[in-house]
Amino acid sequence: MFRGEQTEVSGSEILSTLLGSEVRGDLLVLFHRNPGLIDTVDGVARRIGRTTVAIISEVRELLELGVLKQKRIGASEVVYLDRTKDRELLESVANHLKTLKVGEER
Amino acid sequence: MASRVNESGWNSPHGTLEPVSRSLSPDQRFAAENAFSSVLASTIREAVGDALGRNVLEILTLKGLLDATNNSKEFDSKLRSLFGNGAAVLERIVVKDLNRKLGIRYDSEASFDYEKSLETAREVCFVESRLK
Repeated sequence: MFRGEQTEVSGSEILSTLLGSEVRGDLLVLFHRNPGLIDTVDGVARRIGRTTVAIISEVRELLELGVLKQKRIGASEVVYLDRTKDRELLESVANHLKTLKVGEER
Repeated sequence: MASRVNESGWNSPHGTLEPVSRSLSPDQRFAAENAFSSVLASTIREAVGDALGRNVLEILTLKGLLDATNNSKEFDSKLRSLFGNGAAVLERIVVKDLNRKLGIRYDSEASFDYEKSLETAREVCFVESRLK
């Protein structure tokens, strides 16, 4: 269903993707609070109180960034947090934020 | 902490009620302000940490961003200077968590105003302190 294309992206781009929508914010919080979570997109949608339709493109964005991964378990496609990639991405975000001054318009 | 209220504010059958803070003694108000500041600061830390990780949270702390949590306007402005449009997403996460802790309904479809949302949450804290 999804293809995880991972190319080199800047901290600023990563940040824009991670916080690109409220749903993506909810997904990040869900997976960071439950780093071992493995569930279908339907299940993930239920966990954050949304519909599958409302989250599918947001999940796809996170799969393309690499923070989430997808695999097949039996008859189901499930998604889960790629902890290594997640750490790398958040490190890039942190390094990007270090370079910014609080109070300056972006 | 379990009063269930609508995020849009405090309403009676006769209209909007006066802010609860006015009916509190100075001591009660001080205690309620402290309680609210404390729950807000911890919620912001949890929300930012859970969304973007501990390293980002540390950087925001070093940059003094978390010193401004009591001043929602200043906090919003500082957050926007770092995160641009992403600031609104972080603020929604904060308000959602804060509302859950205080028993306030959160409607993700409704228009969002960080300052107003915090005002509602503050009022709930004041009601809680009056009931104690």
